[in-house]
Amino acid sequence: MGITVDVAYKSLNKFSEILCGDQVEILKTADSDILILADGMGSGVKANILSTLTSKILGTMFLNGATLEECVDTIVQTLPVCQVRHVAYSTFSILQVFQNGEAYLVEFDNPGCIFIQDGKLVPIPKNLRTIEGKQINEYRFQVKRGDALILMSDGTVHAGVGQLLNFGWQWEDIAAYAVKQYAVTVSAIRLAASICQACDELYMMRPGDDTTVACMRIIDKKSVHLMTGPASNPEDDQKMVANFMSDAEAKTVVCGGTSATIVSRVLNRPMDVSLDYSDPEIPPIAYINGIDLVTEGVLTLNRVLQLLRRFVQNETVAEDFFEELDKPNGASMIARMIIEDCTELHMYVGKAINSAYQNPDLPFDLGIRQNLVDQLKKTIEEMGKPVTVTYY
Amino acid sequence: MKVTICIGSACHLKGSREIIKQLQALVAEHGIGDKVDLNGAFCTGNCVKAVCVTVDGTLFSLTPETTKEFFEKEILGRL
Repeated sequence: MGITVDVAYKSLNKFSEILCGDQVEILKTADSDILILADGMGSGVKANILSTLTSKILGTMFLNGATLEECVDTIVQTLPVCQVRHVAYSTFSILQVFQNGEAYLVEFDNPGCIFIQDGKLVPIPKNLRTIEGKQINEYRFQVKRGDALILMSDGTVHAGVGQLLNFGWQWEDIAAYAVKQYAVTVSAIRLAASICQACDELYMMRPGDDTTVACMRIIDKKSVHLMTGPASNPEDDQKMVANFMSDAEAKTVVCGGTSATIVSRVLNRPMDVSLDYSDPEIPPIAYINGIDLVTEGVLTLNRVLQLLRRFVQNETVAEDFFEELDKPNGASMIARMIIEDCTELHMYVGKAINSAYQNPDLPFDLGIRQNLVDQLKKTIEEMGKPVTVTYY
Repeated sequence: MKVTICIGSACHLKGSREIIKQLQALVAEHGIGDKVDLNGAFCTGNCVKAVCVTVDGTLFSLTPETTKEFFEKEILGRL
């Protein structure tokens, strides 16, 4: 039935630590999406190394079709042994969702996966197996559109221990909160961030442990078509716009004054440019009937890239990031669409060079469109979303 | 009278925003909002002359410093 997922996560570092001891891997195979969360023992560098090794080994081996036994065996043999505790230890959860709706969950010592279907919490049964002396829970089930699955590190259930809450934030209470937040959020990142934010508050902004919430939402495919730059050969304008408009289901975005003028001419629809400078650095947006968003080009895309990079780096994704994302300027609107309302991006990029931009008087190099496009592609792929680029 | 200010990349960097602010203020100050229609436009292909402003189809090249003079001569002067 062709299931698509929206995956995102949010981590909090233990207070005063620079590195996070939890690691998340988001992977794609030809027919499935994989989300892995590993939590290394301790905190700081040591935990970071343990969880990075664990998540990378699991990811690489899983991608290449290794069995669970082989993966666990490799991890046990590979992880360095802690000199203080004389054990090598990292917990992990693996969630794999296939395009046909089958799901496979593996859990080792992390708080259980929260599974929300039809707006309600669905319990995940215990089905323990012992591999290499480790008790591992395995579960196969079916997911459908609208479902949400949440993986967590134990920093969530320990939130507030001994301070605001005697025994921390109980799993049942987190799950109830997640169900509530599920109803009021649309994207995976907002759901993950809202739970993380609550943990941070319970910790009184000083997390006693690395805390990570990774969320996968099962959604419809949402493609976005983005056109920027005029074709190097003006005769290709027609073809470029036709390809750009080829998918009636896709959201359409035009970035660039000349590009917008071309679209308006080819489609024979008037363009209305607003004078509303909601952000002094980003030129106003415009409107063309039937196009979801029309913005200026290079300056706007440059800001989009900055926002997406912040998102990928994750550390600064908090309230203020969402405030920035909700602003009504062209760049925030594009970034928000790519983060929250897009599962695959198709870019239609013109290679024409605007001779006026070669003007050394300008305080910003406007001739960097292709470079920007390359970096956008790289960053959006890091978000786990496929990107295609067609040049004209 | 239709006055169009380019807000394309090049013009933006050369100060479209400041010019729009000045023109909006000047139009309000003189109470001629019903006669002067301020519009935005994306790149008109004259980036070398940035900031591009057209008055009823005639192209002018402005900077924030020359805006007041332009307003008095080309807008008030034509009304």
